[in-house]
Amino acid sequence: MGWFGVVTWLLGGLLLAFIVLPIVRLVTTSSVASLRHAADTAAIRDATLLSLQAAAMTAGIATLFGVPLAYILARGSFRGRGVIQSVVDLPLVIPHTVAGIALLFLLGRTGWVGGPATHLGVSFYGSQWGIVAAMLFVSAPFAVNSARVAFEAIDPRLERAARSLGATPWHAFRRVTLPLGLRGVLTGAVLVYARSISEFGAVVILAYYPATAPVEIYNLFLQSGLTQSASAAVVLLIVTLATFLVLRTLASGRLLARVDRAYR
Amino acid sequence: MPTADRGLSVSELTTQAGSFTLGPVSLEIPPDRVLVVLGPSGAGKTMLLETIAGLRPQQSGRISLAGTDISGLAPERRRIGLVFQDAALFPHLSVQDNIRFGPRATRVAARDGSGELLRQLGIEHLADRSPRSLSGGERQRVALARALAIQPGLLLLDEPLSALDQPTREDMRTLLQQLLTQLEIPAAHVTHDRDEAMSIGDDLAVIVGGQLRQTGPAAKVAAEPAGPDAARLLGWSELGHGTAANGTARIGQLVFGDAAAAGLHGHVQAFYRPEDVQLSPAAAATPAGASLTAHVERILPTRPLARIILGSDPPIAALVLHREIGRLRLTAGSPVQVNLPPDSVRVFQTG
Repeated sequence: MGWFGVVTWLLGGLLLAFIVLPIVRLVTTSSVASLRHAADTAAIRDATLLSLQAAAMTAGIATLFGVPLAYILARGSFRGRGVIQSVVDLPLVIPHTVAGIALLFLLGRTGWVGGPATHLGVSFYGSQWGIVAAMLFVSAPFAVNSARVAFEAIDPRLERAARSLGATPWHAFRRVTLPLGLRGVLTGAVLVYARSISEFGAVVILAYYPATAPVEIYNLFLQSGLTQSASAAVVLLIVTLATFLVLRTLASGRLLARVDRAYR
Repeated sequence: MPTADRGLSVSELTTQAGSFTLGPVSLEIPPDRVLVVLGPSGAGKTMLLETIAGLRPQQSGRISLAGTDISGLAPERRRIGLVFQDAALFPHLSVQDNIRFGPRATRVAARDGSGELLRQLGIEHLADRSPRSLSGGERQRVALARALAIQPGLLLLDEPLSALDQPTREDMRTLLQQLLTQLEIPAAHVTHDRDEAMSIGDDLAVIVGGQLRQTGPAAKVAAEPAGPDAARLLGWSELGHGTAANGTARIGQLVFGDAAAAGLHGHVQAFYRPEDVQLSPAAAATPAGASLTAHVERILPTRPLARIILGSDPPIAALVLHREIGRLRLTAGSPVQVNLPPDSVRVFQTG
């Protein structure tokens, strides 16, 4: 290995260590007993389940609305396409607390959407809908961009071939574009899930209660200190990593193979 | 029934992509004939096919198929089989499912005819294969079967042979010739390869820069190109520029009489067919046509015909059988009589 190889491995290795070491330190801080205690605590368990549920719902909603937008961006050559792409990327550069405040103005009890919704019996402030809305705002770019990149990689002539063979635009999308871009769509959904389950800033402002797992851990940290919150953090870490790995594996392989067969 | 009622009729068709405008194009393809659209890259050939297929919006004009105006129909309702340059097979479907795609989408076929098409095109053994595992020739056969599976009223072939290697291309060319003869549906085949055009087409349409320059029976268009662009595309070589007056055109030392230069006056440009250039010993009698005495500059042993570069004014290259080199004792520097028969030269007015 030459000097270039040594330097690249050294620099890359330092970054890897910076990512891994805090997690290792966190995990080794907690004993099995304290983890079991944290997992048995109703507040932590409920918060973790709420996070899982809300993140899954967010992934579904982001995919449902993000895929059409991704398709428009991938295939359209209209004026303003760049502006739309910039809007999609906006949540990536807005501080999440700022996003939370902006969402509060829109979805709060007196907001443009929140006001009428409250009259219809739907409240975003301090509800699971608020949690999902906050998660959706910060994670939607992952669903759109992942699907867009996948659609862009598909030769547009395949859709034209499908149309010439008698397929309507919807049929061509469902039978050709979607199956071929499915890996990107599912990857986007998994990324949305991962980003949502770890969201704190926007959620804590729009829907502080019911507490999601990151909010609950923050509360524990404030109330009981570092050691107490560490056990809850490890529980969340285990659940998050486990579900993320399972979903990513499904998205990349076995699930796709099943979907492929279903489309034949 | 008039041919226009059974074939394809395109009238004053125009379309635009950015600053490029195609048309107005008018052409007809009777049901039992194959029209080859010949043109250089960027001429608008693919654009023409895509507009006829409805995949690109037309600005004006009318497209009729079997007597029905299809100009306003969505592509899926036109029943036009389209074969793309790189086949554009659906990579996530097997060969058989690619072929079944159209009938399933349109429900045109009461029974599954994919097996019959696979047999007809000699790809029965590929039915369960993935398109990714096929060779170029196999992919094009599948693409052809897929396009035919919808029982199209018109077949459009967009340079289907251009991505194939030479032996495969010749096999596919033969297959296409046979198939298009059997089908009895109008077909348009786009290419920039004149050999392909001449071997597949009944009729020829020459398109350059979005404009249709010439249409007609293939043999007639090839023998009588209407202008310099068509001549170049059809394998004519440029002889050079000159002047014409009183029924005579002069290009360097060559003088062309009435047959080639009738009605021309002023600046002209001449083209010739290198394979029709006649070479004979320097002292031989001059046959009909324009003649001059030259010397051999170089002999290029190209195949199947050798190229003889002649030192002459204007510069001329002759394509001859290899055995002619020995018979005429052609060597670099040897003198030779050069004759261009009347039908091997075309002279066009340029100014």
